[in-house]
Amino acid sequence: MTVEHANKAREDLGYVREVVDRAERGLMPRTIWYLWAGIVLVGFTLADLAPGRVGLFWLVAAPTGFLASAWLGRRSARAAGVECRRRAAAHMLHWSGMLVAILLLVPLAATGPLAGEAMGQAILVVVALGYFLAGVHGHRPLMWISLLVIAGYGLTFLLEAWAWTIAGVLVALGMIVAANAAGSPGAAEMRRD
Amino acid sequence: MTEEPDLRGRLDAVDRLLEHRVRLAIAVLLTRYDRLSFPRLKTLTGETDGSLGAHTRRLEQAGYVRVKKEFVDRKPVTWYALTDEGREALDDHLTALEGLIGDADPR
Repeated sequence: MTVEHANKAREDLGYVREVVDRAERGLMPRTIWYLWAGIVLVGFTLADLAPGRVGLFWLVAAPTGFLASAWLGRRSARAAGVECRRRAAAHMLHWSGMLVAILLLVPLAATGPLAGEAMGQAILVVVALGYFLAGVHGHRPLMWISLLVIAGYGLTFLLEAWAWTIAGVLVALGMIVAANAAGSPGAAEMRRD
Repeated sequence: MTEEPDLRGRLDAVDRLLEHRVRLAIAVLLTRYDRLSFPRLKTLTGETDGSLGAHTRRLEQAGYVRVKKEFVDRKPVTWYALTDEGREALDDHLTALEGLIGDADPR
């Protein structure tokens, strides 16, 4: 009798685990991937074509992209029928923490230790770590993007010319592939009920 | 000698409403998110409109979930959230299940 009940309980909990796993998959909207693919492509290419404008570009694009991503994420989650302030706060803390870490590198660039290309390379390491941890704790494809960022970091040491452009294309393509592989949540789910 | 009364105690502690796996899944999902919509629950559980509606109604009648209808992009959407009573019932139910499984599979 106990075994019978226990087996049913095990089966039910297995079903619940499957449902919860399904709920955790694919809550990052494609639009966020596309947005950052575009920003990365322009920002990295500028490093080769107009290095003097890179700082200004990222100063505007990074916070704007951050705010746009937060808005898109909230809109997409709501359209998918999900609301969770705790998770939203965790995402905000994670990505704003990465932005702050990058901002803290600016004095090192201004005072000399991270002059020129070294600043960009240091930012790549911070970004790779940010994406890696986001992948570990949440959206798994971000972990693969972090590897592409590190590959881009390697290229900046290996190639004499166009290293940043090639790295940008690599990371942007990775983001587009991840976007298409993950799909977009919510589009088909919102309907009259 | 003590096994049968123990089993009866465990079975008594099982929440009859949460004994159904779909209702159990809904309650567990609602511990992980503030609110989930009807279409989202339908996608996740794989239930039909009618079946899911019946399950959510039973949870609502028991006071385990709170229901709110809102408009999202000008479409009416029903949202579900777990109440404190529902959270407490789920905790007790999971403890009872743990006991049942533990009794059957002692380490």
